[in-house]
Amino acid sequence: MEREIGIVGYGQTPYTKRATQPLIAYLGEATRRALASAGLGRADVDGLAVGAFQLPPDNAVTLAEQFGITVSFAWFFTAGGAGSVSAVMAAMRAIEAGQADVVVCVAGDCYDVGAHYRLMGNFNQALSNYALPHGFGGPNGLFALVTRKHMERYGTTREQFGRICVGQRASAVLNDNAMLRSPMTMDDYLNARMIADPLRLYDCVLPCAGAEAVVVAALDRVPKAKRVRVRAAREQHNHPPGEVAPLHIGAALFRDRLYADAGMGPQDMQFVQAYDDYPVMVAIQLEDLGYFGPGEAPSFLAKHSFAWNGSFPLNTGGGQLSCGQTGAGGGMIGLWEAVAQLRHEAGARQIKGVTRGLVSGYGMVGYGHGLGSAAIILERAA
Amino acid sequence: MSTYPQPHEDAINAPLLAAWREGRLALQRCKGCGKAIFYPRPMCPHCWSEALEWFDASGRGTIVAYSLVFKPHNEAFDAELPVILVEVELEEKALMLSRIVGAKPDAVRSGLKVKLVPMPDAKRYPLPTFCLA
Repeated sequence: MEREIGIVGYGQTPYTKRATQPLIAYLGEATRRALASAGLGRADVDGLAVGAFQLPPDNAVTLAEQFGITVSFAWFFTAGGAGSVSAVMAAMRAIEAGQADVVVCVAGDCYDVGAHYRLMGNFNQALSNYALPHGFGGPNGLFALVTRKHMERYGTTREQFGRICVGQRASAVLNDNAMLRSPMTMDDYLNARMIADPLRLYDCVLPCAGAEAVVVAALDRVPKAKRVRVRAAREQHNHPPGEVAPLHIGAALFRDRLYADAGMGPQDMQFVQAYDDYPVMVAIQLEDLGYFGPGEAPSFLAKHSFAWNGSFPLNTGGGQLSCGQTGAGGGMIGLWEAVAQLRHEAGARQIKGVTRGLVSGYGMVGYGHGLGSAAIILERAA
Repeated sequence: MSTYPQPHEDAINAPLLAAWREGRLALQRCKGCGKAIFYPRPMCPHCWSEALEWFDASGRGTIVAYSLVFKPHNEAFDAELPVILVEVELEEKALMLSRIVGAKPDAVRSGLKVKLVPMPDAKRYPLPTFCLA
């Protein structure tokens, strides 16, 4: 009988405001923790997928050398915050094809505010050449354009976006690894320091250092309660092409196939972990993933609460907006949290009896918006 | 005054940068599908034709969205905050990120018409830059 492939382990390093060790040490620590959570070790690993903006000139193969392992599958992410979901998809295909048995997917960076801006100044050729000379303000400036457009076109208010940030903070209060875990009120959110109008401080992720990893393998490698099944996954990049600050992402194209593959719909999900560099992008992902109709974000956001125990559990560990953004690790934090929830190991913020959820990755800023989109539907196998 | 970050000039974007040094906005147009293109490309992103020609655009457009950037994280801009970052739809239909200069931040609105900063002020800026029309 064919063995079912899924996620069998997950690991996370502590997050720190400034790097306390080199990037490769963070990636190694997350990898070891992920394997330990699966009861596996170094000798079991024969595939490595890595995403880290600061890793070049190193890559997946040289990371294997650093780790001292020989691998038959080596893959370096290319889709920013969508890359971690893409990595799991690539790892599953590699295992199904017989190319590897146990693949570690690891992502992280040694970000701090300075390193983040140095990187964004040289993120891709189009941004360096045609945005940096204008003083564009990094992603804060770009996503301020998307946010303004969303507000003007749909009537979304800052208070509605704030419900995402305030709700997630309530979850982060229960997460020891969140950089920001003191309670936040709507007034705190609305009156925070202006960064790039209309974005204020708590609309913007805090760059930090850290890494996350998940282990993809045959589910029967681990006890039943630790098995996380992949029901469906899809990716779509550079959609819509030719736009600078669109209000849609690639998920709009794959949504129907994603749910058809899973045999489930958006309402069957018991949580959503959605890439949250800015609240507007959460709203756009939720629309393109079918949670409300075109332009209906204002009423959806006004109606729901977004803490782990709210009416719409969203980024139940606090998300990047409260935990911090470890560069490319920002795409892995949602997978990490989803696996924690589905293994019923999420501690004080555990959603009781949860069995399935959706993780949406988004990112890779090009000339304007983020280009990458990928989503995966996960299910507790026990 | 510290200098603004400069674009890296190469064979693809040289006509854009040369035209702007004279205060003109040069765009590529595809001879295959007729569409105007920004940023400069080696082939048309709409139809993949390599038959691209440069032409002088009108230099006029409309603000699609804007932001007031208070933290550009580059000291070259510190004396002129906030940077008024805009998405502009050019009359030729191409979309462009740029900035508005010479306007009060609270005078900027989506939908307003913009035009190129004229010479000799244009020389200050490394890329085509706009003012309110």
